[in-house]
Amino acid sequence: MAIAKKKGDDKSNYSADSARNDGDISSNEEEPNFSDPDDYVDDIPNEELLGDILKQKPKETDGVESVIVVDGVPQVGPDRIEKLQSVINKIFSKFGNIVNTHFPTNEKGHTKGFIFLEYSLPVHAQEAVKATNNYKLDKQHTFLVNLFTDFSKYEQIPDNWKPPESQKYEGQSDLYSYLLEPDAYDQFSLALTGGAQVWQNTQPDPIVLHDRPNWTQSYVKWSPLGTFFTTFHKQGVALWGGPQFSQYKKFSHAAVQFIDYSPCEKYVTTYSSQVDVHNPDQKRIIIWDIRTGQEKRSFNPDGPSAWPIFRWSHDDKYFARMGTDVLSIYETPSFGLLEKKSLKILGIQDFSWSPTDNVIAFWVAEDKDVPARVTLLEIPNRNEIRNKNLFNVAHCKIHWQKSGDFLCVKVDRYSKVRKEKNEIKYSGMYFNFEIFHMREKEIPVDSVEIKELIQAFAWEPIGSKFAIIHGESPNISVSFYEVRVGQAPLLLKKLEKRACNHLFWSPNGQFIVLAGLGSNGGGSLEFVDTQDFVIMNTTDHYQASDVEWDPTGRYVITAISNWKTKVDTGYYMWSFQGKILKRVNLDKFSQLLWRPRCHTLLDDKQLKDIKKNLKKYYAQFESKDRMRQTKASKELIEKRAALMEKFSAYRQKRIQEWIEQKPRRLELRCGIDTDELDSDVQNTEEEIVEFFVKEEFIEIE
Amino acid sequence: MKPLILHGHERAITQIKYNREGDLLFSSSKDTIPNVWYSLNGERLGTFNGHQGAVWCIDIDWTTTRFLSGAGDNSLKLWDVETGTTIGTISTNSPVRACNFSYSANMAVFATDKSMGHQCEIHIIDVRNADESLGKSSPILRIPINGPRVSSLIWGALDETLLTGHEDGEIMQWDLQTGKKISNIKEHDKVIMDMQMSKDATMFITASKDHTAKLFDSDNLMLLKTYKTERPVNSAAVSPILEHVVLGGGQDAMDVTTTSARIGKFDSRFFHLAFEEEFGRVKGHFGPINSVAFHPDGKSYSSGGEDGYVRVHNFDQSYFEYGFDY
Repeated sequence: MAIAKKKGDDKSNYSADSARNDGDISSNEEEPNFSDPDDYVDDIPNEELLGDILKQKPKETDGVESVIVVDGVPQVGPDRIEKLQSVINKIFSKFGNIVNTHFPTNEKGHTKGFIFLEYSLPVHAQEAVKATNNYKLDKQHTFLVNLFTDFSKYEQIPDNWKPPESQKYEGQSDLYSYLLEPDAYDQFSLALTGGAQVWQNTQPDPIVLHDRPNWTQSYVKWSPLGTFFTTFHKQGVALWGGPQFSQYKKFSHAAVQFIDYSPCEKYVTTYSSQVDVHNPDQKRIIIWDIRTGQEKRSFNPDGPSAWPIFRWSHDDKYFARMGTDVLSIYETPSFGLLEKKSLKILGIQDFSWSPTDNVIAFWVAEDKDVPARVTLLEIPNRNEIRNKNLFNVAHCKIHWQKSGDFLCVKVDRYSKVRKEKNEIKYSGMYFNFEIFHMREKEIPVDSVEIKELIQAFAWEPIGSKFAIIHGESPNISVSFYEVRVGQAPLLLKKLEKRACNHLFWSPNGQFIVLAGLGSNGGGSLEFVDTQDFVIMNTTDHYQASDVEWDPTGRYVITAISNWKTKVDTGYYMWSFQGKILKRVNLDKFSQLLWRPRCHTLLDDKQLKDIKKNLKKYYAQFESKDRMRQTKASKELIEKRAALMEKFSAYRQKRIQEWIEQKPRRLELRCGIDTDELDSDVQNTEEEIVEFFVKEEFIEIE
Repeated sequence: MKPLILHGHERAITQIKYNREGDLLFSSSKDTIPNVWYSLNGERLGTFNGHQGAVWCIDIDWTTTRFLSGAGDNSLKLWDVETGTTIGTISTNSPVRACNFSYSANMAVFATDKSMGHQCEIHIIDVRNADESLGKSSPILRIPINGPRVSSLIWGALDETLLTGHEDGEIMQWDLQTGKKISNIKEHDKVIMDMQMSKDATMFITASKDHTAKLFDSDNLMLLKTYKTERPVNSAAVSPILEHVVLGGGQDAMDVTTTSARIGKFDSRFFHLAFEEEFGRVKGHFGPINSVAFHPDGKSYSSGGEDGYVRVHNFDQSYFEYGFDY
């Protein structure tokens, strides 16, 4: 009320001023008279005059939300009240700026055991209540802390309580409907600037299933078994699934950058590099339960580390992360540390789970006289099932074969090492590939040595081959090896002088694409059948940045993303033999991803049967393909016929008009008919033009 | 199809045009000297010497007696084709960007650039009895353009209308009786580089930097067809005998040095007139194509590029045999 009153005062001051001005006006006649006439009654309400300012008028209840009541405070006499105040201040100033305190006292000056504190902001009050309610000050005194507004809130609870209405159960839509596609067409997603699309790779032309503008704000990601489609937003990530791609769950985590699914799609890890201003307590890494949407555990990253920071075992039972000299393994569903403590491993550099077993492979770096070591660790019993010491090691890289049958550790070794200004410099580099036979007794290890620089390494996902790109431009070779029981790996084939820097195996093995990606790769593509090493096709997709096999190994996509370059963005689709099927140029295209398929439900015998009877099915597929082809060409021909009919009708009309205009054309060109090249018969004359042959004389002295 | 390569210009070709009979091919370039060639064997017949700046546009009248050229030296010149001498010169305030003879060749039109503080302006001049006094005689009609400049222009059928393509992709149709705008459409997003009539002048094709060429009705400006590419299109022409169009273009000249010829896509591209489907490409230029033209008999076509060459291509028999199923 105080301000409103003051406003009134201002007003009276103003009229006093204007009254004073009256005197001036009489002396200076140019000024008009602003003063009210004598009989004027001020009947304009304040709301009309300064409604906007009145709205900002502080209310009595302003600031009440920032007040908390603390009960259970020790009752002290006036001599100790200052001490009490300092204790209270120490406890409560952690949560925000305390602007006002009130310690009620009785007539003797003793405090009454409850106090009032006012913070500068309501959020601080809420935090203080959350943190200090039931705070044990000492044995006798426990604080009971409430918001001041709670009193009025709980006073007004209606007497007759109504039970909440039960909500109707809504079943989830079928998340696996896409697997029932009768022709086994695969789906793929396109991320575009300002949207995302999901396509079905139907033959002969893919069709778009869902096209949603602003579906994602950065990129998209499929879950590892293809059940969920993930989109990224400012507020967090959203998971979509089912036949209509309806929202399945959303996980709010501000400014999420990366996510990582557990292999069985039970959990998802989200990572944000920023602290949410609205929720400063939220940690940077959160692991969520996908089905319930609950936050299971959260962490803050310590120090730089490679994503994914937490790596999952194949069955979602364990996840692990590496720290300095320590490997922490957690178990689900408790999300606690396995056996309540981390493993201390001095000098651990990297680790990786087997894709099929609960085995961790890790390596530790050399330290003075201690050699580097690769260890296979069985979880949960922590047995070291294999150990291999390695000498002169600069770096290691762990490559598991997808079927878990083999493990390859690429070892970068040196002949000489120097220390230069705290920087270690290696020279005379050579490379070893240590192959661990996981399925054999005692896990024997073979070694392949290559003296040249290694560009890339890749296991055949199913099978026993691996490929290596080695050498330096322009003498780059690709070598294929086969791993055999009881024998050293056998060099099957060496392709020399290739222009490639990446290897892409078909998900079912046998076929491989050798690609030259990036700025110096030129987008060269080579499709190789590794059964007999026939090069099926050599071609290119200029400036291609990505290569993606479809999950069945029937198609290959090469793409140019606008994250890399601005021209000719889009994708090409090839058959596994390297035949071009489609060229699609798309502005704003950034990412193409095939929807993964889940593991097959057929057992080995059934698979074998299918393979045996492939000829029988082949005829069916063949006729189906033919029908589709004829249907497509029929459609195209129909479309063309319609276009032609329409266009011809238009042309007929226009040609008729043109013929009618002929007299006017003749008039404009002096009566000479120039409609056709030879229509002007009278003036046409045959002219023989002689072309001069160039003659040159050179005089010789 | 081995092309004739006409090497007579020292700088980028700006425009090429056949005369009505198609025995001669005229070319202009940024090197100030338009050339005329025998289209049959590619021998140079002569040059038109006189301009001081890049020649942006040329045209030949239907009798192949007079030749028109507009240049960056702020002038338009009318030439005698037979002797290669200047008949008259019109000095302008800014470079001449587009010029065209009317159907009767009684009149000609040209448009000046919006530059050096001068507005873009369309001039229509009488060239019936043109002589050296051409520069002093006043035009029949002047149309000042206050909006985006004229980047391309052609006469409508029968000397009655004028069609102008503008820097912002707009196309305007003008009535020459009144000098007023009849209609306008905006189907292109970027500058229109070229406009060419079909043989019967009932349709015209536009080429634009927005990566498309479009076919319009020349009377009511109805959009008939769109031909899409992934590069700027600098020129487009309609075949006089078949339902084909040819498009020339490629990556902008200013970006070419940073990219290879392969990514620049400096091919002539053939589309079906009605189906809008691409069915063929002709490689050869190592810079963007600035101008394409069909021979009036439809049996050959030429392209002029930023690389300074004019390439004359005679179609193989397979070109005439190729057909679409419908």
